[in-house]
Amino acid sequence: MSEPILSVTNVRVAFGGVQALAGVSLEIREGEILSLIGPNGAGKTTLFNVISGVLRPQHGDVRFLGRSIIGRPPHEIARLGIGRTYQIVRPFGSLSVVDNVAVGGLIHARSIAAARAAAREIVEFVGLGPFADRIAATLTLTQRKRLEVARALALRPRLLLLDEVMAGLTPSEMDTMADFVVRLGERGIGTVCGIEHVMRLVMRISHRIVVLDAGRCIAEGDPKAIQSDPRVIEAYLGAPLIETI
Amino acid sequence: MRRILIIAIPIVAFLAVAPNRLNGYYLNLLYITVLYVGLAYGWNIISGYAGYFSFGQIAFFGIGAYATGLIVVNLQWHWILAALAGGLIACALSVPMGYVMLRLRGPFFAMGMFGLAQTSRVVITAIPATGGGSGLFLPPGSDLRSIYYWTLAVTLGAIALTMWIDRSAFGLRLQALREDEQVAGTLGIDVTLEKIYAFALSALIPGLLGGGYIWFLTYIEPDAAFSPRLDLQSVVMAILGGVGTVWGPLVGGVLMTQIAEALWARFPQIYLMIFGGLLVALLIVLPRGIVPALTSRIRRSV
Repeated sequence: MSEPILSVTNVRVAFGGVQALAGVSLEIREGEILSLIGPNGAGKTTLFNVISGVLRPQHGDVRFLGRSIIGRPPHEIARLGIGRTYQIVRPFGSLSVVDNVAVGGLIHARSIAAARAAAREIVEFVGLGPFADRIAATLTLTQRKRLEVARALALRPRLLLLDEVMAGLTPSEMDTMADFVVRLGERGIGTVCGIEHVMRLVMRISHRIVVLDAGRCIAEGDPKAIQSDPRVIEAYLGAPLIETI
Repeated sequence: MRRILIIAIPIVAFLAVAPNRLNGYYLNLLYITVLYVGLAYGWNIISGYAGYFSFGQIAFFGIGAYATGLIVVNLQWHWILAALAGGLIACALSVPMGYVMLRLRGPFFAMGMFGLAQTSRVVITAIPATGGGSGLFLPPGSDLRSIYYWTLAVTLGAIALTMWIDRSAFGLRLQALREDEQVAGTLGIDVTLEKIYAFALSALIPGLLGGGYIWFLTYIEPDAAFSPRLDLQSVVMAILGGVGTVWGPLVGGVLMTQIAEALWARFPQIYLMIFGGLLVALLIVLPRGIVPALTSRIRRSV
């Protein structure tokens, strides 16, 4: 529970004059569910883009399993064992659900048949079994969210980055998704870092929480400590931290 | 697979014996049809499966044509060996070209490829050995039958290759990057590499076809070897048949060459006008092409 699987050190990203990340440092430990919270524009998704290799930071280092992954292309980082989902769902619209998932499995499978067989099992696991052979473009938002996760699972990542998988779901669907995230350990995916806004669920499932605001880490700790942290309350402009959705 | 063989074997058998039965005109038409179908299949790999619309694959047709001609004239190789070498040269040159060009996307790639084809034409014309703008006459080396068989072999190879791609992991990677390149990357696909593979295959096929075409003309000149017309027509055929499908280029290619020919024979003055109108009408009715429209209809009725 204590070894860092990923460490981010002093990462800075600027888009023109906007400092999206102004020196972020954090660690993700083996076996934990870490939630990344913070107001809109805090730099959460930017940090995911840096970790997954989509974006190269101007400064700082990201080490995964002891090796620096800065400057490596996204496919290498994926093969090293970091899977991610996208906040705005991005299914391969013209492919079937199974093929969407099989894409992620190609790095492990010897043949496309093997990748599809493994994909079918994952599709079943995320509850999309009845839709396995549907074209992904025909799925509803909830189903697409599940497909996002299923694709990342097919990589069999050591570390899974979930970018707002709850957004847009109904409260009961959110609970199902939260249980699902907790159950990921069954599939050998013990380390999860999730960006989430739904505090009720963040507080319920997280082992640890990191709060980002304006490109900086402003607080870090277990759910209890975070809820009573004055800096966090201030970052949310005094709004009640626990949303009632 | 068995159903495909039942349909394919008689057709291939017919195509194989056709030159013995057909007179000059029909053999000519058959050759042109097979050539267009082959070009459409070549284009379909990078543009249909990988989603990089190219208006310049004719560059590789031209390079294959010139490489073949120069080898035969200067090294006196048998033309088939030369055409094979021409295709491989086009394929090899496509790798560095693709590495640069495939950084562009969408309309920029399409226009960039058009530019690349024109640049290739200018560069080749500037080399003294190619005879410049006046072209290069070839020694007698082949007849229409052999050219036809060569082209048929390449086109059948392109169809077989496409059938394989459609079922392979490679094909799935291409389709994934076509849909969303960034997501494909974060799912472990080396998008740069896969795109270059697709581009090289999409260069090999026209490269091989170009080496046959010059014997059809009996000489090479830049405007014929880098003909924008051949390029655009083969693209339109693939679009009409169905982009990124196994049978689209075949259906579109066969249909369009026959319609164009029939119209040309009957209305020589205005055939292009009728043809253009027909094309527009077809694409309005079937925006995704003939093959996807048929398969979705079959699926719905089942």
